[in-house]
Amino acid sequence: MGKKTIAYIDAIREALREEMLRDPKVIVIGEDVGLGQGAFTVTKGLYQEFGKDRVIDTPISEESIIGACVGAAMAGLRPVAEIMFNPFMALVMDPLINHASCYKYVSGGQVKVPMVIRTLVCQGRGAGHDHAPFYASWFMHVPYIRVIVPSTPYDAKGLLKTAIRDDYPCIFYEHIDFYPRKPNLGEIPEEEYTIPLGKADIKKEGSDVTIVAILTGVKTSLSAAKKLEEDGINVEVVDPRTLAPLDKQTILDSVKKTGRLVIVETDFKTAGVGAEIAAIVAEEAMEYLDAPIKRVATADIPISFTNEKYILPNEEAIIKAVKDIC
Amino acid sequence: MHEVTMPKLSLTMETGKIVRWLKKEGDKVEKGEPILEIETEKVTVEVEAPASGILHKILAKEGEDVPIQKTIAIIREPGEEIPEEVAAPPVEAKKPEVVAVTEKPLERIKASPLAKRLAKEYGVDLTKIKGTGPGGRIVKEDVLRAVEEAKAAAVTVTPTPTPVTVEKAKVVPLTSMRKTIGRRMAQSLQTAPQLTITMEVDMSEAVKFREQITSVTEKKLNLRVTYTDIIVKAVAKALKEFPFINSRLEGDQLKLLEEVNVGVATAVEDGLVVPVVKNADKKSLIEVASEIRSLVEKARQGKLSIEDVSGGTFTVTNLGMYGVDVFTPIINPPESAILGVGRIVEKPVVINGQITIRPLTVLSLTFDHRVTDGAQAAVFLQRVKDLLEKPALLFIE
Amino acid sequence: MNLNKNTLIEIYRNIVLLRKLDEKLIELFTAGKVPGWIHPYVGQEAVVAGVAPHVRKDDFFCATHRGRAVHVLKGTPLRKFVAELLGRKTGINKGRAGEMHVMNWEVHSVSSGIVGATFPMAVGFGIACKLEGGDKIVFCTFGDGASNRGTFHESLNMASVWKLPIVFICENNLYAQFTPSKLTTSVSDIAKRASAYNMPSTIVDGMDPIAVYEAVGEAVERARKREGPTLVECKTYRYHGHFYGDKWETYRSPEEVEAWKKKDPVITFKERLLKDGVLTEKLVEEIYNDVNSQVEDALKFAFESPEPSPEDVYEDL
Repeated sequence: MGKKTIAYIDAIREALREEMLRDPKVIVIGEDVGLGQGAFTVTKGLYQEFGKDRVIDTPISEESIIGACVGAAMAGLRPVAEIMFNPFMALVMDPLINHASCYKYVSGGQVKVPMVIRTLVCQGRGAGHDHAPFYASWFMHVPYIRVIVPSTPYDAKGLLKTAIRDDYPCIFYEHIDFYPRKPNLGEIPEEEYTIPLGKADIKKEGSDVTIVAILTGVKTSLSAAKKLEEDGINVEVVDPRTLAPLDKQTILDSVKKTGRLVIVETDFKTAGVGAEIAAIVAEEAMEYLDAPIKRVATADIPISFTNEKYILPNEEAIIKAVKDIC
Repeated sequence: MHEVTMPKLSLTMETGKIVRWLKKEGDKVEKGEPILEIETEKVTVEVEAPASGILHKILAKEGEDVPIQKTIAIIREPGEEIPEEVAAPPVEAKKPEVVAVTEKPLERIKASPLAKRLAKEYGVDLTKIKGTGPGGRIVKEDVLRAVEEAKAAAVTVTPTPTPVTVEKAKVVPLTSMRKTIGRRMAQSLQTAPQLTITMEVDMSEAVKFREQITSVTEKKLNLRVTYTDIIVKAVAKALKEFPFINSRLEGDQLKLLEEVNVGVATAVEDGLVVPVVKNADKKSLIEVASEIRSLVEKARQGKLSIEDVSGGTFTVTNLGMYGVDVFTPIINPPESAILGVGRIVEKPVVINGQITIRPLTVLSLTFDHRVTDGAQAAVFLQRVKDLLEKPALLFIE
Repeated sequence: MNLNKNTLIEIYRNIVLLRKLDEKLIELFTAGKVPGWIHPYVGQEAVVAGVAPHVRKDDFFCATHRGRAVHVLKGTPLRKFVAELLGRKTGINKGRAGEMHVMNWEVHSVSSGIVGATFPMAVGFGIACKLEGGDKIVFCTFGDGASNRGTFHESLNMASVWKLPIVFICENNLYAQFTPSKLTTSVSDIAKRASAYNMPSTIVDGMDPIAVYEAVGEAVERARKREGPTLVECKTYRYHGHFYGDKWETYRSPEEVEAWKKKDPVITFKERLLKDGVLTEKLVEEIYNDVNSQVEDALKFAFESPEPSPEDVYEDL
């Protein structure tokens, strides 16, 4: 079983390429994905290898690009679209939530809509109110849309392959902090592998408090955990990896063990992904809670290109939240 | 005039509970004489009079929790006049015991869901526990502490005995541990209808088994595996197969517990403690043996923690080393059964029509008749016997 | 383009079927027997009937919420179509889709309750057709109101630049929901918009099924040869409101309605075919009886079918 080291961004490209080689129905579609090699170089080289019929450069027409993915998916293709910044998902709501997520059921099981939308969370770069937010709870809320949030190269590659093979619409979130190569290297098997949806990963075992961390929250929680160790607090960090379907069991088992829960998320706090996770834990593990559930999230105000350092969750906020309940 | 204040006996002490006044108002007291007993998180101690005089006023009642350094009594010198305000209790007025329901609702107990559940499981009264969580919330730690206080040894100095009448006897005051054990055993017998069934077990294979293991473990791990260790392992395995025995009765609901935590009754200087091997079914024989060894050591040194003595689901008590053959152990509440082990002695037995000599022991299982019946208890005991007579079975499902 | 007798009769028959179907639905709706709304196609039958002969079983078809009966013309059994409208579990979509969203993937036909949502879907079907090779094409029907949606413009642009095999068919019935199009639409000929996307277009009388047939036929040939998309605008009219029961008198004059009723294809086309000897009165009567009995049969089947049960609700997830 050989292993190799790979960067997050290359792991994603590898997943795309492997699936395109494996299944001629897989196509990549979006703005600048082909000749432009991808706005962030994720799709670099695919146009050269697979040609313009399978790597489609589109005009700036988000709603129709995704609507076209719905049609193409129904007609038997497996489109992987790119929406450059995740707040632009607001433009594609109709085809996604009024059609893609419903058609299998509403047609009486006649069609399926196997499509993937890759999109970016661009925080900490001064990208502004319409580029920087992280909207995932919108889609957790819609039945039968998958929401995938990988934080390592291993998770990203395995989950993207599974998403492409999955028969439901999947939204695959990448974070800009994971794109630089050096700080985002990880080990993956040399052989082909996939990771099932709905399976969380315990990134660090612990006994005193559970942190459920999402995307970049994983890294910040792990470094907060190191500091908390010095204060004698043994943190367990659970990375759900997919928010829908959500691995409830791993989260509940962890909270039953530690009795305490902190959720670390970089979306807005109110009705964010943490609200759902907290509700599930309160509903199904109340008798194991020794302290209130805490959420460390972005402040409920618009993100401007200069206020991120004050309103996004950081290590300090995580440490404070943990100490508040330990 | 001298004030008697609630002493601070440790760094973390914040309040003390008045257990008992040893003197009444108007009594003469001597400096250094104990005048009351207080209870803290860790100990029960006597408080001495800081000066001689008359105990003028008691300002805190028995059972009351008083913050440290608050005045709890006033001693006046003979002939001294004390103005009323000073004698008035500076301590917060205790709320009336009975609250008119129409006027004021009962105060809600602030406790975490986990603490509430544990309090219910251990039968501890939440209203009697002080919370150390935020806002005075009762948390898991507080409940487990209360459990330990109910069980663990307390350091005490007992009050002087009351004068006796005609009978000639040496009076030995009961230690706190003795009192606690007595109270719990009486409670156990009062609440649970208990009966004991016994079975004789042929320990030949167990003897061989133990010799084989111990010869290796002694050299490699400096560990002697005892019969108690093997019996704990056998019991743990059997308990997994008989969930009705590894249970707790709560009202009219029987909780079949997932964890198998076997307590091992251990004699200590002034009585008995029961440290618990958690998840004994999941641990190897060697792990169980070394854990029991270290728990017993801790017990002997009086260093058992709350965790060590709580969470038990079944108890094993071995009086074999004292020469006892058969006995009727009393169940350790809130468990549902207890296994007593007698001495191993060589006896003649009849096997296939021939008389031969085998090492035998008697297992005495006391069970709660509310939870199960003799027939089922016997099947469980038979299983334990089986495992001891064929130790190899300990290693297969 | 020569139309043989059988095709003409088929077109006529379909006009009668579509009319009969909607009249029956209106009757049932007023009796409170139809769940949801209905959006009568009455008056516009000539368009879909003129298109239908060109549509192959494996071609893709995006229908509108009004022209949904096209699913039947494309090959959905009438019984299953009617059962679906009446919310029965024997419906083509197990009683889950209803009138606006009826779809039959076996024959690649879909609709949507969101006006304009099918344009991008058509683009997606077109991409799949192209990648597959072969000569499957896409039909995308829509109303004048839909052509104001952003998706119309985005999709026509993409269809044109990628030369997708799509035939866009606009049923311009002069009204979008409850408002005259002339108050909200910057052009009176939707076909003009196609030229903004470098797409050929044509305008025809939507009450004349042969005119529709011929114009669409040309567009179909272009698409099958992979020469690119075309837009065919059919000028037509709906005699009822946007949905049945809406107060169309408040936004249309009865005189206007009467004028269009004079062009009713059920009558005018019949007369034309009688004159040309394609139809006889006897054949007309036969056709009517046959259509009636088919519709009655489908309704009977639907009414005798059960509604979805609580268990059915959790299937196909």
